[in-house]
Amino acid sequence: MIAMEYFLVLAAILFCIGAYGVLTKSNAIVVLMCIELMLNAANINFITFAAYNYDVVGQAFVIMSISVAAAEVAVGIAILLNAYKIRKTTELDDAELTTMRW
Amino acid sequence: MIAEYTWLVPFIPMMCFLLIGVIGKKTPEKGGYFAIFGALASFIIAVAISAEYLTSEAFQNNEAITCSIDWFHIGDYTMHLGYYVDGLTCAMMLFSSFISTLIFIYSLGYMHDQGERKNRYYAEVSLFLTGMLGLIVSSNFLELFIFWEVMGLCSYLLIGFWSFRHDNGDEASANAASAAKKAFLVTRMGDVCLMGGLFILLNLFTTLDYADMFATAEIVAAQDPELLTVGLLLVFGGVIGKSAQFPLHDWLPDAMAGPTTVSSLIHAATMVKAGVYLVARAFPIYVMDGNVMLFVGIIGGITAFIAATMALNNMNIKKVLAYSTISQLGYMILALGAGGYLWALGYEELGALGFFAGCFHMINHAFFKALLFMGSGSVIHGTGTEDMRLMGGLFKKMKITATTMLFGCLAIAGIPIFSGFWSKDLVIDTAMAAFENGVGDGATWFIILWVLAVITAFMTAFYMFRMWFMTFMGEPRENAQHCHGESPKTMTMPLIILAIFALLSGLLLFTKFDKVLSVCGVHIDGMEEGIHLFSNMFTYLTLVLAIVGIAIAYLMYVKKTVDPGKFNKHGDSWLYKALTKRWWFPDLYNQISWKLGYGVAKGVNYVDRQIVDGTVNGLSGAVVGGGDELSKVQTGHVQDYSSIVLVGVSVLAVVFLIIVAQLGGF
Repeated sequence: MIAMEYFLVLAAILFCIGAYGVLTKSNAIVVLMCIELMLNAANINFITFAAYNYDVVGQAFVIMSISVAAAEVAVGIAILLNAYKIRKTTELDDAELTTMRW
Repeated sequence: MIAEYTWLVPFIPMMCFLLIGVIGKKTPEKGGYFAIFGALASFIIAVAISAEYLTSEAFQNNEAITCSIDWFHIGDYTMHLGYYVDGLTCAMMLFSSFISTLIFIYSLGYMHDQGERKNRYYAEVSLFLTGMLGLIVSSNFLELFIFWEVMGLCSYLLIGFWSFRHDNGDEASANAASAAKKAFLVTRMGDVCLMGGLFILLNLFTTLDYADMFATAEIVAAQDPELLTVGLLLVFGGVIGKSAQFPLHDWLPDAMAGPTTVSSLIHAATMVKAGVYLVARAFPIYVMDGNVMLFVGIIGGITAFIAATMALNNMNIKKVLAYSTISQLGYMILALGAGGYLWALGYEELGALGFFAGCFHMINHAFFKALLFMGSGSVIHGTGTEDMRLMGGLFKKMKITATTMLFGCLAIAGIPIFSGFWSKDLVIDTAMAAFENGVGDGATWFIILWVLAVITAFMTAFYMFRMWFMTFMGEPRENAQHCHGESPKTMTMPLIILAIFALLSGLLLFTKFDKVLSVCGVHIDGMEEGIHLFSNMFTYLTLVLAIVGIAIAYLMYVKKTVDPGKFNKHGDSWLYKALTKRWWFPDLYNQISWKLGYGVAKGVNYVDRQIVDGTVNGLSGAVVGGGDELSKVQTGHVQDYSSIVLVGVSVLAVVFLIIVAQLGGF
């Protein structure tokens, strides 16, 4: 049997890639995709622990998580489309967005 | 038991004060009759109380009638409110309410043309009288202090009564408002000392009631003599301020900016007498320390002398009287100091003589000084000026005023039969006794003070008659003011009554009055002392000097055979200038208040602005600036926020893991 650490390291790497994308990418769609990566990293952890601990609650949570993520992506994409219609761009560091700071 | 109603004595004038304040404007004379009624009622009650006390057994046993109720408690200290009636109280009550009554009657004439302002005047003088009578009947030092302050307030209000420019030919006091402020602030210096002294006395005696303090004075003095000395000196500081003693005397001449009746009230019946009364009241405590009493005597003697010199060349009729008051107050303080000094050395009979002389002079002075002030008020009322150079030859026009004032001048100059003679010579006698029986430096001091007192007697006779001759004798000066003739009856009647007292009040010495002014059960034999005066060659010395003083004044200002200009080089001599400048005391006050007061104020200002404000401003600046800087963190980039969240969560996770590892794992 493959050791549990491999799965966990895979999940961590996936999470870090997602986090890196969220923090650095300026395109909102890419950021949304990276968030999905991070979510899936968490899902892999769930599955891993469920499999190694013989506990199906983890799998149930993953099903739940995937469906919520699907709904969230749908809403997110819808917002992005509307934002794009208004602002003609999907860039996050748009000047208009940063006028509300100090 | 009428003495139970002693509280009515100050209470009635206080009610009159309220009444005049509320409804006075609607009554004739704007409340003047209420004020007179209040003073007269107080006088009548005082007479009844005195009659009862002086015939009582307590008086025979030299005990005081005292009664007090609890007022409040602070820790172990209990403060009382009550009355304390003994011979001194009776004498003081009688003369201050009596003279006040006369002054208020006189005010009807003198203040007649003041219109609406009279209402304020009568209310304030009633409160003034409340202060004095309350101070006299109070049974402890706290109560005394309260009324003491009431008088301080009233003197401020009344001196500043003409709070607009009121030219009387003297720059320093031309402005009544500043004169009032000066009186208030200078006496305040003394009051602060008095308050400090009372704190020390309270600490030492654990009570401020006269009866308890007198009973335990010796024990306390034996326990902690140094602290008692400090306390007594501080209390005397209050006296220096209130009774205008050297070096805080300079407010009194300026106080002449007020109406003459107010001057009369301050100088004769109230205010400055309170200081002397305080020394006399605390005499049984004061005698515990001979050195303090020596100091008291020195201050009194110096005051008597210095004030008399300044009266010599003053041209303002009221100022001359003001200086003479300071000088006479110096006599009283000198007598009390000399008497206390002797008592402290163990000569109780002589100590009682000093006490008697001081108090007796205070009473006599009250009569003749009220008379002199009201007389000068009558002159001012008639001529409309206070400058004696604009008067002269008024005798023909104002016969009653002139005659009654002559009585006052004879009394203050110390001519036999007149009241001033008896008490003043007793004062000088006490100073001599203090020299004869004193030890070491004390004796040296008292011979100096005796010489000063004798010279003062000479100067007093000179300047009083200089004033009288300049005002009433000779021909009217070419630039003399027109005189309207004699003053109305309300003004001359009090003058006549007071003239009779100025003539006769000294003869109280030969009645049972000596026992009234006894201290700690010791009293002098008035008859014997009175006769002794005539077998004492020093009495004749002062008498001759007084007559010489009068003669010089006569030659200078009536006959004009001696030209005063020769002595002062027509106003150019150093001494003349020094006297006109009041020995530079006003300048000294100014210097002190500028250098010291302004310096301290600047220091305080610096601390306030730089340190206190600096702290507050610095803190708020740091908060605002810090907030400004920190708000830059809010970049508006969602990725910055999320990275902060990520870092935060990571740090928390690491910390959590470390804590778990420290606690020994899962």
